[in-house]
Amino acid sequence: MTALIELRQIVKEFTRGGETLRVLENLDLDVERGSFEALMGPSGSGKSTLLNLMAGLDRPTGGSIAVDGKRVDRMSEGELAYWRANSVGFVFQSYNLLPVLTAVENVELPLLLSPVHATERRKRAEVALKVVGLTDRMSHYPRMLSGGQEQRVSIARAIVADPLLIVADEPTGDLDRRSADEILTLLETLNSEMGKTIVMVTHDPAAAARAKLTRHLDKGRLRATEASAREPHGA
Amino acid sequence: MTFASLAARNLLRNKVRTLLTILGVAVAVVTFLLLRTVISAWTGAAEFAAKDRVVSRHKVTFIMSLPKRYVDTIRSQPDVKQATYANWFGGRSPGNEREFFATLAVEPKTYFEVYDELTFTEGSLAAFVEDKSGAVVGDVLARKFGWKLGDQVVLESGIFPNPVDRTWSFTVRGIYTTTSRTADRSTFFFHWSYLNDGAPQIVRDEVGWVVSRTKDPSRTADVGVAIDRTFDSEDTQTLSQDEASFNTSFLAGFSVILSAIDLVSGVILLIMMLVLGNTIAMGVRERTSEYGAMRAIGFLPKHIAGFVVIEAMVLSALGGVVGLGLSVPIVEKGLGGWLEQNMGGMFPFFRIPPVMAVAAVFLSLALGLLASALPAWQASKIRVTEALRRVV
Ligand SMILES: Nc1ncnc2c1ncn2[C@@H]1O[C@H](COP(=O)(O)OP(=O)(O)OP(=O)(O)O)[C@@H](O)[C@H]1O
Ligand SMILES: [Mg+2]
Repeated sequence: MTALIELRQIVKEFTRGGETLRVLENLDLDVERGSFEALMGPSGSGKSTLLNLMAGLDRPTGGSIAVDGKRVDRMSEGELAYWRANSVGFVFQSYNLLPVLTAVENVELPLLLSPVHATERRKRAEVALKVVGLTDRMSHYPRMLSGGQEQRVSIARAIVADPLLIVADEPTGDLDRRSADEILTLLETLNSEMGKTIVMVTHDPAAAARAKLTRHLDKGRLRATEASAREPHGA
Repeated sequence: MTFASLAARNLLRNKVRTLLTILGVAVAVVTFLLLRTVISAWTGAAEFAAKDRVVSRHKVTFIMSLPKRYVDTIRSQPDVKQATYANWFGGRSPGNEREFFATLAVEPKTYFEVYDELTFTEGSLAAFVEDKSGAVVGDVLARKFGWKLGDQVVLESGIFPNPVDRTWSFTVRGIYTTTSRTADRSTFFFHWSYLNDGAPQIVRDEVGWVVSRTKDPSRTADVGVAIDRTFDSEDTQTLSQDEASFNTSFLAGFSVILSAIDLVSGVILLIMMLVLGNTIAMGVRERTSEYGAMRAIGFLPKHIAGFVVIEAMVLSALGGVVGLGLSVPIVEKGLGGWLEQNMGGMFPFFRIPPVMAVAAVFLSLALGLLASALPAWQASKIRVTEALRRVV
């Protein structure tokens, strides 16, 4: 079976004020199904850029991207949105919950885009909140939750549509050690027990250590792929 | 949760701002309706004018009068069904000089035949006709001064000072009302002969104007022309106009004011749109990262634009409805009541035109749509990756 994500000869440039900045340079990358990978690298090295490309949020300047055999780089804007809704779960550093919606409504949000009946939507959202251990916070608004709880709501939102892939850009960046550990444990569980493929950008070596695999991005290239000596952590 | 409820939820985010915006729209709607009502009350006089009435007055000016014998000449015209006449008395109630109301000396028998939209609520025409010093007053005026049947009323006139003691006294013999939108309910009518007998010699046997009713309303204008032709060779010539053109020519003097009011009512709506647009644009700017997250999750640009538009429409609809709700007590009951009582001659019927009430709500909706167009377009155009970078 091929890898879930296949990036080939990826080039990504940004043009700003007439100057072209090449962030990614002929980059090749395979992410296997069911893996939990950490992506590290200095600030500005292009980690978020790379993550956005795999998640279909942005298009490469050159090269090809296939996810589960689908050429993401060739999809139209509308096709991409539809694909993201069904195939990718997003976890952001600052959670990005809608403040006007309760926890369970925030989790329901992605299902508004699918032809799921209202009662079924609510049921699925409740199940997702149960998975992240927030059954007792369903009707709380984000401002009533701690950072760790908010991030768990956002993880519930990421899994509610049962995507193939979860991308997380510094999911523990705003959290204290304890909450960060809870989030990482949750991600590990999603990976090991629900078989979700997870790619997580992080600056924190301790967070990266919880992944099965860590990659380092520097100067436009993936410098090394470490299956690493830390393998026992993942098990 | 649905798309619509999601859009509406955003209104609860900043309650003070939402409330102020709704209030702003409401105030604009009240102002708009007020101005439109002024216009309609004013022009209504022409629109609702009787089609079969001709007013003949001195060709040179309103202020100059006609010889009384002209009335008989006009009555003998083949197409004239009835004619009556009146003098402007310019009466004031001593002690209440600032209260203005119209006072007309009329021919008692025929005046209420020509103006048959005036109906007696108390007293009777016969009682009025019989008493030479009798008077008939509008119900609004009677209520204002507390006049009842049989009351003695004393008036002064700068135009016709009574040679004896300067004042004139009358007995209220009738109270009239009307459902007509053009008739004043605050006029004081009394016998022309009573005035004529007491007036100085030089102004005797003169009438201010003659009003005729024609047999065929479609020929009213021609009747006016025929009347004027009759007096062509006389020293005093007449100018006859059917009531609608008479009212219109009276209004023509105010046409600049009317178009100014017209313009301002439009400007009010424009300002309302800008206020609304600003609120919406502010909300959109604040929510850039939220929209970014929603787009990442799979919402389409059209969804985002839809949220913005729905939000604006809900705001403007609420503002429109609140404004309409406030307009009835403010414009009709408050100001309208006051105007009908105190400036009934100019605004006999000061009511919000129903068409305008409906139009105000639809206009606020349309302007909400328009106001949200640019912010909605901007919101739909945000680049997901850039919107997400703006987080923190
Ligand atoms: N939309 C854009 N327009 C112009 N330049 C961009 C844009 N997005 C990213 N860049 C540039 O590309 C480079 C990589 O950015 P990226 O956000 O991927 O880095 P990162 O590795 O995620 O950094 P950090 O660890 O600080 O989040 C940076 O130099 C950034 O300024
Ligand atoms: Mg980044």
